[in-house]
Amino acid sequence: MTVARETKTGTARPPFWRDVKVLRIVAQLVAGAGSVALLWYLGSNLTTNLTAQGISTDFGFLDQPAGVTVPGSDFRSSQPISDILVLGIKNTFALVIVGIPLLTILGTLIGIGRLSSNWLVRKAATAYVETLRNIPPLLVIIFTNTAVILASLPRIQEAWQPFDLFVLSNRELAVPWFTAGDGSGAYLGVLAAGVVASIAVWIWRTRQFDATGTPHHRFFWGTGVFLLFAVVGFFVIGNPYSLSRPELEGLVITGGISNISAYFAVLLALVIYTASHVAEIVRGSIQAVAKGQTEAANALALSSFQRLRFVVLPQAFRIAIPPLINQFLNFTKNSSLAIAIGYSEITLVVFQAIGNGQPAPQLIIILMGAYLLFSLSISLLINILNRRLQLVTN
Amino acid sequence: MIKRLLLLVVVLAMVATACGGDGAEEESTTTTAADGGSQVAAEGILKTVQDRGVLNCGVNQEVFGFGFVDADGNFVGFDIDYCKAVAAAVLGDADAVEYKALTAQQRFTALQSGEIDVLIRNTTWTATRDGGEGATFLTTTFYDGQGMMVNSDSGYTTLEDMANTTVCVQSGTTTELNLAARFESGGIPFTALTFDSNDELRPAFVAGQCDGWTSDKSQLAAFRSQNPPADGGPEAWTILDETFSKEPLGPLVRDGDSQWAQVVDWVVYATIQAEEFGLDSGNINSYSGDNAEIKRFLGQPNEEGTIFDPGLGLPTDFAVMVIDAVGNYEEIYNRNVGPDTALGLARGVNDLWTRGGLLYAPPYR
Amino acid sequence: MAVRTETASLRRPSPALRWVRENLFNNWYNSVLTVIFGALFIWVGFSLLRWVFFRAEWEIVRVNLTLFMVGRFPRDELARIWVSNYMIVGAIGLMAGAATASAAAAAKEAGLPFVQSKLQDLIQRFWPVLLLVAALLQFSRTWTPTIMTVGMVVIGVAARFAGLHLPRVIRRYAWVLVALLLIGAYGALVWFGGFGWDDWGGLHLTLFVTVAGIILAFPLGLLFALGRRSTLPLVRLLSVTYIEFIRGVPLITLLLMGAFALKFLLPPGMDLSLVSRLVVAIMLFTAAYVAENVRGGLQAVPKGQTEAGQALGLPAWKVMRLIVLPQALRAVIPAMVGQFISLFKDTSLLVVVGVFELLAVSSIANNQPEFLGKGLAEVTLPFVAVIYWVGAYTMSRESRRLEKKLGVGER
Repeated sequence: MTVARETKTGTARPPFWRDVKVLRIVAQLVAGAGSVALLWYLGSNLTTNLTAQGISTDFGFLDQPAGVTVPGSDFRSSQPISDILVLGIKNTFALVIVGIPLLTILGTLIGIGRLSSNWLVRKAATAYVETLRNIPPLLVIIFTNTAVILASLPRIQEAWQPFDLFVLSNRELAVPWFTAGDGSGAYLGVLAAGVVASIAVWIWRTRQFDATGTPHHRFFWGTGVFLLFAVVGFFVIGNPYSLSRPELEGLVITGGISNISAYFAVLLALVIYTASHVAEIVRGSIQAVAKGQTEAANALALSSFQRLRFVVLPQAFRIAIPPLINQFLNFTKNSSLAIAIGYSEITLVVFQAIGNGQPAPQLIIILMGAYLLFSLSISLLINILNRRLQLVTN
Repeated sequence: MIKRLLLLVVVLAMVATACGGDGAEEESTTTTAADGGSQVAAEGILKTVQDRGVLNCGVNQEVFGFGFVDADGNFVGFDIDYCKAVAAAVLGDADAVEYKALTAQQRFTALQSGEIDVLIRNTTWTATRDGGEGATFLTTTFYDGQGMMVNSDSGYTTLEDMANTTVCVQSGTTTELNLAARFESGGIPFTALTFDSNDELRPAFVAGQCDGWTSDKSQLAAFRSQNPPADGGPEAWTILDETFSKEPLGPLVRDGDSQWAQVVDWVVYATIQAEEFGLDSGNINSYSGDNAEIKRFLGQPNEEGTIFDPGLGLPTDFAVMVIDAVGNYEEIYNRNVGPDTALGLARGVNDLWTRGGLLYAPPYR
Repeated sequence: MAVRTETASLRRPSPALRWVRENLFNNWYNSVLTVIFGALFIWVGFSLLRWVFFRAEWEIVRVNLTLFMVGRFPRDELARIWVSNYMIVGAIGLMAGAATASAAAAAKEAGLPFVQSKLQDLIQRFWPVLLLVAALLQFSRTWTPTIMTVGMVVIGVAARFAGLHLPRVIRRYAWVLVALLLIGAYGALVWFGGFGWDDWGGLHLTLFVTVAGIILAFPLGLLFALGRRSTLPLVRLLSVTYIEFIRGVPLITLLLMGAFALKFLLPPGMDLSLVSRLVVAIMLFTAAYVAENVRGGLQAVPKGQTEAGQALGLPAWKVMRLIVLPQALRAVIPAMVGQFISLFKDTSLLVVVGVFELLAVSSIANNQPEFLGKGLAEVTLPFVAVIYWVGAYTMSRESRRLEKKLGVGER
């Protein structure tokens, strides 16, 4: 302190206990040291307690055999715990990746429904939102499983097979999927070229539009070019992919892509639950779009679809994005409730392992890490999107 | 602002009182937890329990017959009766029990951390659990075995028939591990659907989401006998003959306190021995015969007027208090799981060794 | 589906018919939608009524009603709960009365008309709660709960009357009385040989955990909110890390931590009961969300307010305490109610870690000998869902009302 005072002889500085600069540093040091000390204290308690009770404090248990199987996969009980954790994360991901687009679409529809000119539609949308929003998601999952999967779908012995394309039962549901044949690699290359070409065409049409003002129709041009590549490539290479239909043999579904019904129950439940929140966001955002915008659209004689599609929704979505991210994150976090009906996502897998005597603290750290990974990547992705959207307007 | 702060202080004080209230009884437990392993002799669990005046018993709250809660909030069941028996022997009061309902996942940590003194929660005795969970298994009170229940019209008669089937099982139990082991060693491809509770499992089985329901046979029998006519009644379901695991269920205590382990062990033996002697809650107080063995067992003075004390740390007449409170093994069995209950289980292997069962109490001398 | 449009009708039919035409059949697709949704409404309503009154076997709820309400609270000590409820109702009544009196006085001072809320408004605002209470009393097998509930209403009304007519000097300190009553309400359960948290259960425990969680989380959340707004980089970093970490993980992971790992973090020899550990976990979780809400409130306070405070020569902490926080916290109230609702719903997760809450009671009831294996979860679970719905729906409506009243949305 004295040194500081000597160097700055001109200005008389306050005593150090009132010097803001010093106080700031001290406050930060206290906060930092306090946090470190707290963590160190908890950590040392943890190791002391675990050692005293003979519980392992390392991650060696990850190599132990899991001892359980996982429905909807070919996981064997002799595989290590680390494998089952990875599988759990994959299963959570399978929920998130399919759920987020679905809930956005459903939520938007219901949000628009709440503003419909039809009184009955408005009331139905309100009833939907007010009912689902106010029930714990855990109960929504159990109800969906009982009412939709167990009560409505047939047992696998009597599975519905509409058009021989789907297999629908309360045990497993299957849809057709592609199987790679010869030359599938080459075909992927062709598709990639198609994407590049269609982007090029898109840019070209946009430039053309900017330069001459002729309608760009860039969407049709772009898709057209891509489809051209896809179709021509398909026949030139000669059936690189074939459609594999799911077939039921006894109790086993072969071909297509299938998953156990618990997956669909959780997916459906969380989509309809989260959509009730998204609907409110969409409604609020549409109402937040200045009324003059709608009136301007009307003055231009846009149809009600055009008004929504080109004027209201694009602006509303920009307002809606931050709260929407929150709902996506909530969806991801709520997927942990699948534990109630036995879909082996990461939480259930960890819970099983704890039940089978593996050390809880380490497993919970892994579990939290997995969710942080999900949350941070979603925030990151959508922040990038958000920035892009905002740049377009400026 | 100050108002709010004051309110906060008040609330915090409230919470502190609550924690304090809880802490008073828990402090004593945890001291044993901390040094239970090293210096047992100094202050064992027995002493702690006696000082506290209450036995902390870890139980199940949703397994009918073994441990469940009735509409009045009382715990009832086979395991619960053994909690009462231990309390009667140690404290002289069968009602001096603080029941701690635990999930399958929580039971071992609760025992290790000293939250409970004894765990009687239909827990299977396995080597890993005995060795690794910091717990000691005591005399088995109920010999169960894992079975498989299927729909009667499914045509399955053995596990080998069940290739490619889906089996429903409760998570966090040995059942889950046995299932995988049995099917994989038999080379039978299968899928296991796990559920957190039987409430979600049962509708899945009824709806045919799974072909089999595996659990301890006693549980399967209970659900089978209670199947309502709307779902086809008991005949709609069949329990396969094969018992594919041994499930010895009994009490557990923390590792490292052999005195406490002996106490709980001998309480269990007392119920078995009483049945062997033909003593039950009706006649135990009025025994006036001169069988020396029985008199020893009941803590009655012999011809010289001395009372036998084996040095278990229990009162010499503990057996009288136990049998008076909960009855002998037969009474406990028949009251909770026997033929006249919804479970309707015959004694089977859970019978005295003299009748060809597995129950055998060491001599009380 | 179009956004509402005005259609001019040529003729002037009766108002009812005109309403129907404008709101249900104004163009072809709306007509189609009306028919579809009309059929849906009728079908859902019919099935629901038939199930509630004819299909469902309510016996399981009737028998276990006490278990659902208060769990394993000893049956011969239930009077404690009623006394506690009386004190809470008294406190609420007193608070409402005093608040109304203050508002009336303020309106009078400002020369504005003061509209007192009528009974009719109360029924409109709280109809779900009233219906639920009526249904619960109908399920009860004795008259005691009905008499006690009537007693609660009487005490509530009396307390409100008292609050309304307190002399002004005393009214300023009414909050002391309210605080004492609330402490008494807690003490009635715990003191004099009462029972701690671990013996509570059912709806009672659910409500308690929610209230305790949010109250305990508030100071911590406030701290982190201020930390996040701090100009000290390290403090900000710590706060942001904590908030984002907690907000990135589901509540269930914290509950698992509370159930399985928290006791290992405590010094050896110290232990908390299960419910206490879970309340700690809930507090840590909720604090992060409270912090974000409070931060929103802080950001809503115009910068000029801070500058004005500084111009008066107030030190920074006084600016915060006297100028910024009062405004910010007022703006935060609706968001906090929202947090309360979401926590209320989240308490259903406690069943996973073996707490005796509503869903656990549902499961327990289904394992009693008379109900085992009958598949009656289809009765108990909807019953639990209705309890949650009534609570969450009523609170969310009250929160919106509050939002309007405080004019938070209109800045």
